[in-house]
Amino acid sequence: MRITVTGASGLLGSSVARALVTAGHEVTTLQRRPSGVDGAVDVIGSVTDAAAVDQAVTGAEAVVHLAAKVSMMGDPKEFEAVNIGGTRTLVDAARAAGVQRLVHISSPSVAHTGESIIGDGAEPASPEFARGEYARTKGAGERIALGADSSDFRVLVLRPHLMWGPGDAQLTERVIDRARSGRMPMLGSGAALVDTLFVDNAVEAIVTAVTAVDSTHGEALVVTNGQPRPIGELMSRIAIAGGAAEPKLRIPVAPALAAGSVVEKVWELGEHDDEPPLTRFLAEQLSTAHWFDQRRTQEVLGWTPRVSIEEGLQILAAHYA
Amino acid sequence: MRFPARPATLPPQLPEWDPAWSRIVEARTSDGTHAFHVLDTLPALTAAGVEPAGTIVALHGNPTWSYLWRRLAQATIDAAQSGGRAWRLIAPDQLEMGFSERLAHSSMPAPKSAEVRRIADRISDFDGVVSNLFAEVAATGSATHPIVTIGHDWGGVLSLGWAARNTELVSAAISLNTAVHQPEDAPVPAPLRATLAGPMLPAATVLTDGFLRVTLALGDLDAETKDAFHAPYRRAEDRWAIGNFVADIPVDDTHASDPELQRIGQDIAAFDKPALLVWGPKDPAFLERYLRDLRQRLPQADVHRFETASHLVSEDHDVPGLVLDWLSAQFDAPTTANTPTEAAPAKGSSERKGAAASATEAASARSGTPSSARGSTSDVADDSATGNGSAEVRAVTAILDARRDDEALASVDFAQNPAQQITWHHLWHVTTSIANGLLDLGVKPGDRVSMLVPPGNNLTAALYACLKIGAVAVVADAGLGPKGMTRAITSADPQWIIGELPGLALARAFGWPGRRISVRRLGPVRSRVFKAETSLTELSRTPHRAELPTPSPDADAAILFTSGSTGPAKGVRYTHADISALAAVLTRTFNVTEGTGLVAGFPPFALLGPAIGATSVTPDMSVTKPKTLTATAIADAIIAGRATMVFASPAAYTNVAATAGELDDRQREACAGVELVLSAGAPVPLELMDAIAEVFPNASIHSPYGMTEGLLLTDIDRDGVAAADATGGLGVCVGQPIDGVELALAPIDESGRSADELLQGATAQGRLGEFVVSAAHIKSGYDNLWHTTADSARDDLRGLTWHRTNDIGHIDENGRVWLEGRLQHVVTTPCGPVGPGGLEALIDADVQVSRSSVVGIGPVGTQALVAVLDAEGTSLSPGLAPLDLTARLREKVAEAVGHDLTAVLVAPEFPTDIRHNSKIDRSRLAAWAGSVLAGGPVRGSV
Repeated sequence: MRITVTGASGLLGSSVARALVTAGHEVTTLQRRPSGVDGAVDVIGSVTDAAAVDQAVTGAEAVVHLAAKVSMMGDPKEFEAVNIGGTRTLVDAARAAGVQRLVHISSPSVAHTGESIIGDGAEPASPEFARGEYARTKGAGERIALGADSSDFRVLVLRPHLMWGPGDAQLTERVIDRARSGRMPMLGSGAALVDTLFVDNAVEAIVTAVTAVDSTHGEALVVTNGQPRPIGELMSRIAIAGGAAEPKLRIPVAPALAAGSVVEKVWELGEHDDEPPLTRFLAEQLSTAHWFDQRRTQEVLGWTPRVSIEEGLQILAAHYA
Repeated sequence: MRFPARPATLPPQLPEWDPAWSRIVEARTSDGTHAFHVLDTLPALTAAGVEPAGTIVALHGNPTWSYLWRRLAQATIDAAQSGGRAWRLIAPDQLEMGFSERLAHSSMPAPKSAEVRRIADRISDFDGVVSNLFAEVAATGSATHPIVTIGHDWGGVLSLGWAARNTELVSAAISLNTAVHQPEDAPVPAPLRATLAGPMLPAATVLTDGFLRVTLALGDLDAETKDAFHAPYRRAEDRWAIGNFVADIPVDDTHASDPELQRIGQDIAAFDKPALLVWGPKDPAFLERYLRDLRQRLPQADVHRFETASHLVSEDHDVPGLVLDWLSAQFDAPTTANTPTEAAPAKGSSERKGAAASATEAASARSGTPSSARGSTSDVADDSATGNGSAEVRAVTAILDARRDDEALASVDFAQNPAQQITWHHLWHVTTSIANGLLDLGVKPGDRVSMLVPPGNNLTAALYACLKIGAVAVVADAGLGPKGMTRAITSADPQWIIGELPGLALARAFGWPGRRISVRRLGPVRSRVFKAETSLTELSRTPHRAELPTPSPDADAAILFTSGSTGPAKGVRYTHADISALAAVLTRTFNVTEGTGLVAGFPPFALLGPAIGATSVTPDMSVTKPKTLTATAIADAIIAGRATMVFASPAAYTNVAATAGELDDRQREACAGVELVLSAGAPVPLELMDAIAEVFPNASIHSPYGMTEGLLLTDIDRDGVAAADATGGLGVCVGQPIDGVELALAPIDESGRSADELLQGATAQGRLGEFVVSAAHIKSGYDNLWHTTADSARDDLRGLTWHRTNDIGHIDENGRVWLEGRLQHVVTTPCGPVGPGGLEALIDADVQVSRSSVVGIGPVGTQALVAVLDAEGTSLSPGLAPLDLTARLREKVAEAVGHDLTAVLVAPEFPTDIRHNSKIDRSRLAAWAGSVLAGGPVRGSV
């Protein structure tokens, strides 16, 4: 199959592109920097650039759309341009080019209103109640993608949740770095249950979705390892796998939520390339439960996670050894 | 204040209410044509393409409206659509109530006001409305289309009255909490009295919504539901009839409605069709005495009590489910044996339960077993299935009677100081005297007698005296605590109490029902204080005169209460035949025969000695504290009874083993003479079996498994436990079914429910399921719990009567039963259901763990499997368990069952029941774990 992957310069995007190449597909990638994926044809450009998008999707039979602005902070206009505008541009171009399949990568945060998620399925995106610009604009983008679903243009939305593994800079490296310097806090008891997703499983789920979309489409699926864990336990395990000591720093939840808000505000005043160390959103994420019912996901994709959390941790430890 | 007339209206949008159910119906009444708002499901059924095959007419009380029946409406429609009998529901709002027409009034309602609509008018209103609607479906009221009434509060007595006056139309009647008040018996209940007091009446009922609010507080209603009940009563002018109803309560016999109420009461008493009474005992207005009154008027009625419910019983409990199942048992199950209707005859006993119709009638009137049991199917199971002992059922008192002249030892009681020995002759004489005395006192066959006497000669005498005359012993364990005992005894509603002083003191303090008989003769002051009319001592001097009545084998013999570890304690009904069968099992399985000497340290078996002809010895111990049984006490009991068998609980044996060092040579020799040690009440681990073997070196050690509903189901001995342990199976192995017990398994599905189909043999092996048993000696039913009885006995595999044990686990390839917990504690992970018990045994084996509880967190079918450890007695601190321990347990669980253990938590404490301090309150523990795993606090109480 001829498949276009957007956002293939990131860990997940490039891994998906690589896996698709390995599986024998003709892969075109679209991103602002070279993807570095052997065997794929790179189109350099942004999803906000209609000409580049047209070029990337022409002749494709399926598109995997991973390109997004992922950040805790930043200018709302930039989020909108990439996550909403870019998705609309891509969907329009793909339909115009006769592409039949779209696997749109979203995020569980599009439906997260700050309440605990306890074994729920994939609720509809609710950008109105979203926490932060990322979630809001990803939610709007997901609506655009699902709104375009038809029997000729089959759309499946995957929402990978808290991906981690070797090479992941978003979560894994930060946890390990902070734990190494003794700055990895545990909020409250650390017992809040969270679902996570080992990177290899994320890649395989997305690859599977490219064919699964033919039989089931027009819906969103949260993708996790199906092994919820207390957040404190998992963070400690990741830190230890990265060679750090078990984190012992504990912060009560309420002050952390307040501190998160303050840091967010102060951070916005200055010029920072990096993310703030703690946002209210992150504090909430780390102190409330969010784990999901995976039965529908596994049924639709015909897929189960191959790497368990315990095996993933061993792979991670080998990576950092 | 003026009250303007207003036509009937339609309700606004309300939760759980389908606007398609609403109709405005005009009917001729005693004062002209009026318009009624009526809940009628006919249009909804027609729209669904279903033709009704029955009609339920429902009448609400004060101050509710037909909204009360919304769930019944939905349930009947759902049932009709899924292929069950299609019941049409017609539920009018009474005139001036709900959304029915309001009449003009110029004054406040008052008892003597001419404007008050009387109960007689209301019955005729009801008749007018429903008659019009019946005409819409031609067959209504015919043999193929029965009419059933249901009512609540005032609607209960009114609908029963209407049913009784229309028996040519009505096939059955149901009522929830209601009353036929008898002014001569007692004043109206206090809350009503206050409202009735003159000027209070309009203030409480009409001018304010006080009466409405107070009533709606008598149920577990959410704000939306309360608001829906309020909807037709928002303004004072909407509420005139609320005051009307209260004003029309016939508080005394001068009240205008009293004669009509008395007539209704008499008419109800003549109603002889099937009836069901559904009761919420916490109702402050419709008290127990009204239920008692109704049962006397409707002796055929089945009863279901929802122990935790108050007045609005149908708001808190699944009344629609109960009603539909009951209707199905009355109208849809005449030939198949899938309801407890057939429970009795299918028991495999050679005695048909229908043999003595009168006794059965008396029994089922009080019983909660469907009255239609009488004369139903006679497909009696083949005896081979239920044990060969059932061929010849001996009366419980037959051996006692046969040994009336035997001077050999019958019973030794070490609870008396000095120990009291009685011969068979003496025991026969005493029990016969007491039986005569009880009859003289007015005890009738079928009367219930609450036994507040600890095991020993006195209890034996009282019990066998009752058995001789067909009085029913009610036994509630003191371990339930005063509150639990009060609830249990109130629900059993005994006419009599026989008690030692502590029991009588409790009875007095908590107002337990029943006329009182003390054990020992009390002085005049204490007799008065405890209202003791006589004593066993006095009764035992009654000359033998009367020919004693012979109880039918099918008559109730005893009501034994469960421990109540999973909700309010349930009364379990045993008939004379059941008790005989139980005695026969002891003989058949453990060779307890006439002349055997047995030490009875376990209450249920302590009572069977005289039925078997065995010499029973009650050792010196406190029954409620089995740990008080010492090795020397048991040895002395063995010596006194020349006993070769010992029955006690594991807790008692633990202490016996711990105190074995105190035995002298003679005592040790006596213990060495014991041939059989039976440990009942809980499984016995191998270490304890070994310890018991040290004390009783020549005994075979058995640990049968059972429950209040079936005391002996499986059995395992010491070698069996050792062999089972060696297999490393999950759970606790309780051995194989004993002779006469049929075992089946109802597999558990991914939602944690046990299947309707039962499996036996090889297909039942190696899978998680609920154990379902059949035997001649299992319960005949639950007391006043019609639905629970029906549910527990719903199976009809091979025409037998089965009992759903609620215990879960698996059967291995050798047919051994492994317990893994209770049905309601099954964890439903995405990989399938898991029994917590098996995993707990695995986890408890870890050196860092003292005890654990495995619970499920999250939605059914996708639950997270969580182990909670008790911090007490360990070095663990509350919160997340240490990483290494968590990893170790997770690996163990994955290896054993292939499930992912999500988390391991350490709880600061384990909530346990007061009775055993061992049964863990899992629902509380699960709630705590759920909160912690959602980010909630760890500290504080669990």
